[in-house]
Amino acid sequence: MLKPSINDLIKSSFRSILKNKGRTILTSLGIIIGVASVILLTSIGNGLQIYISQQFESLGANTVFLSPGKIFNDKGGFDSGTSNRFISTSFNLTDLSNLKRSVKNTTIVPVSISMVKIKSSKTTKTDVTVIGSSYQYATVSNYLPSSGNGRYFTKEEEDKKADVIVLGYGLANDLFPSGNALGKKIIVQSKNMKIIGILDKKGGSFGGPDVDQYAFTPIGNVFSFTGNQKINQMVIKTQAKEQVPQVKDEITKIMLKKYDKDAFTVFDSSQLLSSINSIIGILTIGLSGIAAISLIVGGIGIMNIMLVTVSERTKEIGLRKAIGAYPRAILIQFLIEAIILSSFGGAIGIAIGWLGSLGINNFFPAKVTLSSIMIAFSVSTLVGIVFGVVPARKASKLSPIEALRYE
Amino acid sequence: MTKSLSKNKVILELKNVVKTYISGNSQFNALDGVSLKIMEGEFVSITGPSGSGKSTLMHIIGLLDSPTSGEVLLENKDISQLKENQLAQIRNVTLGFVFQQFNLLARTSSLENVLLPLLYSDVPKKERNQKGLEMLTKVALEAKAANTPAQLSGGQQQRVAIARALVNNPKIILADEPTGNLDSKSGKEIIELFHYLNKKEERTIVLVTHDIELAKQANRIIIIKDGKISKE
Repeated sequence: MLKPSINDLIKSSFRSILKNKGRTILTSLGIIIGVASVILLTSIGNGLQIYISQQFESLGANTVFLSPGKIFNDKGGFDSGTSNRFISTSFNLTDLSNLKRSVKNTTIVPVSISMVKIKSSKTTKTDVTVIGSSYQYATVSNYLPSSGNGRYFTKEEEDKKADVIVLGYGLANDLFPSGNALGKKIIVQSKNMKIIGILDKKGGSFGGPDVDQYAFTPIGNVFSFTGNQKINQMVIKTQAKEQVPQVKDEITKIMLKKYDKDAFTVFDSSQLLSSINSIIGILTIGLSGIAAISLIVGGIGIMNIMLVTVSERTKEIGLRKAIGAYPRAILIQFLIEAIILSSFGGAIGIAIGWLGSLGINNFFPAKVTLSSIMIAFSVSTLVGIVFGVVPARKASKLSPIEALRYE
Repeated sequence: MTKSLSKNKVILELKNVVKTYISGNSQFNALDGVSLKIMEGEFVSITGPSGSGKSTLMHIIGLLDSPTSGEVLLENKDISQLKENQLAQIRNVTLGFVFQQFNLLARTSSLENVLLPLLYSDVPKKERNQKGLEMLTKVALEAKAANTPAQLSGGQQQRVAIARALVNNPKIILADEPTGNLDSKSGKEIIELFHYLNKKEERTIVLVTHDIELAKQANRIIIIKDGKISKE
């Protein structure tokens, strides 16, 4: 049986640590900062992944995209851009009708994008992104005005290039700060257009394109803004998720007749999602790794203080040995003190990291995972063991005579 | 139990013990062939001028150090070849140490100081507090059980240290200049306590001091000089 029991050792370690509260906190500071930053960074990475997954889920799992250029590399990540992505930047109406004819049981929506100037009775906005598409875009992208906020444009309006426009929530507010944008007339480039719908607020897309600032109109209108009939993207909605691989194959086959294989990409949302997630995952691991360096620095801090403690308590160690403590009892005692210091730091760090991520979550997606807490806690405990061994061994090897004589 | 019987039993015996310290090229024999017997229930003092080797002798008797050559027999068992863990256990159970510096743990109550050796013993937890209080009562400090060393006088601190030495019911008490840091009145009280422990509890007491007058308090005096016993 181990003498003294682990219980007794933990109790006495706690006591000696509590005798020096200020020093305990300062010693643990390195670990606290390290663990808090690791928790914070992983929670941000994790929150980001969840957020993006949700965004993709709203697109639906049965959506296939056709984009110009080579988007993915062979490993599933995004292509670095060495291919001719920027040479062939668009498709045309022939491609659209080819696809519509050959790929059955799908809804194919062409998307054309232009930057325009919009003038309302109140203000003028430049460089507004206007999305030209077919009338089905709203249902395919699951992005509709809710009741009371108007409607999306119809097939008839699309066919006759009606002067109607649907505004994103933010854009509508910017153009008409006092509200009531619905039904108003605005001038897009030089064209008079009627606002027939205002979309629901979609929420910030942190630095990326903000769909709340977009305007939506029949694709023919965008063709006249840009002066050509280029289609930037096609969104293909299949009837069921199971159809996705087959539809992708069919589209690829048709496109290959006319284009080089690097000139376009057919992909679905899960592919895009896994690529984005792998990037975020690598970023999170990388950043957390950098933060983890501070854990090592914190561990060295603990080792320093433990070495000081061993010197300070040389007499105590000598006394304990004289009255019957065997070397291992001393070793374990000091090791436990180091572990308590580091796991105390770990616990505080986790609490701070958690609170911090709750705070950040108000304006940036962040979510603490149980696994990151467990990893952070075990790493900080491990740091205590690794950096506690040297001082503890030093203590256990002290000769009782030398130690008792120490002044 | 008859006193005469126990007095005839050898509790500790040193046979031709040599302790050599080597520093650089020079050798120095701190103990140069010391042989002695200590009987159970004896009150012995070891004295000599500083540098005589009495500290080294005390360390070897206290199993804190092992001899370069020679035998150390504790209750007829040779302990000079034992491993560190075994020595620690004997120190815990058979020996009680009293030091000049008291060596109490600071900011720790008297009771907890007394209980310290039990941490390394087989005494069940439930009995520990009771035992500790008993020992404090023996040194008349039961009222100061919760006080820390800083709140006690020197004499009181040394009595706590004696209570700590007694808590595992050791056969031998080893005291190294126990009155060296005390005023004469407190010193006298400590010596009286040793007499009491020797007579009433039949504990073997080994008192190491440079002070001849103090040494004379014991039943037998061993004088050591230049690493050899010069007179008994």
